[in-house]
Amino acid sequence: MNDDRKSILEMLAAGKITTDEAERLLTALDPKPASPATDTPDAYASAFTSAQGRSKPPKYLRVLVEADESTTGLRGGPTTVNVRVPMQLLRAGVRLAGLIPPQAHDQLDEAFSKHGVPVTLSQIKPENLEELIDHLGDLTVDVDGKDENKTRVRVFCE
Amino acid sequence: MIPWSASIRVHWTTHRPAAPRQRRLHLWVPLFLVWLLLLPLVLILFPFVALACIFVRINALRLYATAWSVLTSLRHTFVEVHSPAASVRVHLA
Repeated sequence: MNDDRKSILEMLAAGKITTDEAERLLTALDPKPASPATDTPDAYASAFTSAQGRSKPPKYLRVLVEADESTTGLRGGPTTVNVRVPMQLLRAGVRLAGLIPPQAHDQLDEAFSKHGVPVTLSQIKPENLEELIDHLGDLTVDVDGKDENKTRVRVFCE
Repeated sequence: MIPWSASIRVHWTTHRPAAPRQRRLHLWVPLFLVWLLLLPLVLILFPFVALACIFVRINALRLYATAWSVLTSLRHTFVEVHSPAASVRVHLA
């Protein structure tokens, strides 16, 4: 049993994900004839995307984080974060960002770039809002730490 | 639809040397009552917010509409943090 499969089953046993979610994640991990290698990040991302079935637009943005004891400094087991945000809330958030007065844009952009987030608020406009949300639907971020630092971050839409 | 209720679940362990105990707190918060209580306050604040919007050159109607859309889209938000020491789960329904 590989590590991914084991961690999904552990999350199911701990009640952090539902049986449906576990089934979907396990299906995503199954090697398929069309894409036999799921070890590479691209193949893994496409497996996630195909498993979610893109016939309907995504409703939620999911963020799963799992950090082990060496990262958190807390003894007794890993620390997990499981967040589900409705896409509608992201839409509203972008709209809210569009209401920020122009005179505050420069200060905010500077603060963002200082913290390593290259975002220009003036570029977020209602007309490109739908395009932004649509592209989020195809987003899958999967980050695995190195051996000594077992932190896993997964961001995907469902 | 605005969220009508929130379920909050907090589990933590008290670290007493003699006997560590697992504590649990399960809360169901009827948000519809909170909205009802806040409604008069919001109505009172409406004109003041509109005045502030004029000063900072924001369309007040757009602000109200956006605030409403933020409120209505909060439904089905789920946040769970689990650590060895404690776990917190918040679900808006």
